[in-house]
Amino acid sequence: MSSKATIYSFLILGLAVTALLIVAPVVYAVSLSFYQMDSFVGAPKWAGLDNYTRMLSQWVFWRALINGFIYSFGTIIFQVVLGIGFALVLNQVFPGRNIVRGLSILPYLLPTVVVVLTFKWMVDGSIGVLTTMMSAVGLPQVQWFESPGAAMASVILVSVWMWTPFVTTTFLAALQTVPSSLYEAAKVDGTNAVQRFFHITLPMLKPILTVIVLLRAVWMFNKFDVIWLLTQGGPVGATEHLAILSYRQAFGQFDIGGGAAVATISFAILSLVVFIYFRLFPLDTE
Amino acid sequence: MSRSSPRSLAGRVALYGAATLIAVYSAFPIYWMVVSSTRAPEALINSTSLLPGPFTWEYYTNLLELTDYPTQFLNSLIVAAVTVAVTMVFSIMIAYAVTRHRIRGKGIIVGAMLYAYMFPPLLIAIPMFSIFAKLGLGDTLASVIVSHLTLTLPLGVWFLWGFFKSMPFELEEAAMVDGCTRLGAFLRVVLPLSLPGLITVAIFSFLLSWTDYTYALIMIGSDANKTVPVGLASMVGSFDLRWGEIMAGSTLIALPLFGAFALLSQYFIQGLGAGAVKG
Repeated sequence: MSSKATIYSFLILGLAVTALLIVAPVVYAVSLSFYQMDSFVGAPKWAGLDNYTRMLSQWVFWRALINGFIYSFGTIIFQVVLGIGFALVLNQVFPGRNIVRGLSILPYLLPTVVVVLTFKWMVDGSIGVLTTMMSAVGLPQVQWFESPGAAMASVILVSVWMWTPFVTTTFLAALQTVPSSLYEAAKVDGTNAVQRFFHITLPMLKPILTVIVLLRAVWMFNKFDVIWLLTQGGPVGATEHLAILSYRQAFGQFDIGGGAAVATISFAILSLVVFIYFRLFPLDTE
Repeated sequence: MSRSSPRSLAGRVALYGAATLIAVYSAFPIYWMVVSSTRAPEALINSTSLLPGPFTWEYYTNLLELTDYPTQFLNSLIVAAVTVAVTMVFSIMIAYAVTRHRIRGKGIIVGAMLYAYMFPPLLIAIPMFSIFAKLGLGDTLASVIVSHLTLTLPLGVWFLWGFFKSMPFELEEAAMVDGCTRLGAFLRVVLPLSLPGLITVAIFSFLLSWTDYTYALIMIGSDANKTVPVGLASMVGSFDLRWGEIMAGSTLIALPLFGAFALLSQYFIQGLGAGAVKG
């Protein structure tokens, strides 16, 4: 087989599999959003834009959209701030540093189910360890999943715990790329550590920070499992975002067209973010 | 940012304090999961001690003898192993072809992969469920594997593209001058040299598949076909909460990951830095 034939057969085979696995389902999902279908094996009936007008005219849709923004915004802020803080500490030299670095990554490795179940156990009723610790230091009892605000806070808290390591590790790697001569020079000029952080570290790492924020924004906006496992979108829809709404429509109410329409709308929103990403960071294909 | 100057006492105390705080914050829930999974029932409910014990293995034996956990563990292993294998084969092919040949639109191919990695899960899950139901293959491990591939394949191509790109072309060219075919050069020269990259892709594909809850929840209905994450989550829904067994089950899912991390952390960290990331 000639060299060219090998490469082309690789490419064609690979792309055929990708098209079948990813492109076809997405096209199918988008097309489903224009049909009315109340069973997964039933015959679809053309509905035009009905699914969209129906979903967009409902208050639950807008609530889900806003909840999605609150959730992704809240999780990103805390992940980034904590992640940068952790990276700055772990960048210092101290005995046992590698152990602490290793420990700080562990939350990221855990399946969401494990994290959520452990959190639920830790705050369980009157016997959870977090509950007893909090009452021991005199903090009031929190009903983690009862009130809308507390439910949103707990999904954000759990998500931040799980994904902060991503920011820590990426930022820690990026810190190594800042030339130490810059810090030396700034030190000679009599600056303090805080000034050096804001005037050297942050500006130097702005590109990587933008990447982190954009990627995390997309993923948090898409996140289904944490919220579903913790609150199922409750209480009374207070933590329901677009992914949960789409799931409920399609698999709870068997309104498959409506579910597909919500999924397509979140797809459109996130495509906008991806578009911005590629404008800011064009691929280097050479 | 290495500091050469000796640190003041206050500075050292603050640093150690911060490091301890990070360690406790990151590891305490995991520690507590393991402690709870081995603490005798009476103490599990009453004891406020943060130290482990009194010990028992009964949750583990209950879990392994009285529930579907062993079957589900095996299901998870099968799903993850097949996902990793298929991901490796096709992502290597695409990434290699894209880096080693002037192909028009290769920027689009690579960009599309990164894009695909960010698709909303329901955008894939709704049509997948419908397709598999129509094929009569609903509620099978195959349907879970295929939906995991929609995540791992783009990830693999994206990462290996970066990896192959940085590998000098001269290596294969030299082999080909010596009489190797393109395929021969690829199998004997490129693949062995790419081992670190391949291991990284394998780790992240495994991680994505092993930890997935969303797709398995949607694709699988019967207890016998559930993967561990879904099986474990459905234990919580049942009438009495058996925290001991639930924590034992959680520990058993997490342990293989920690074991792999201890052995392969360098590849893991390298992968994180290079953009192979688990959402």
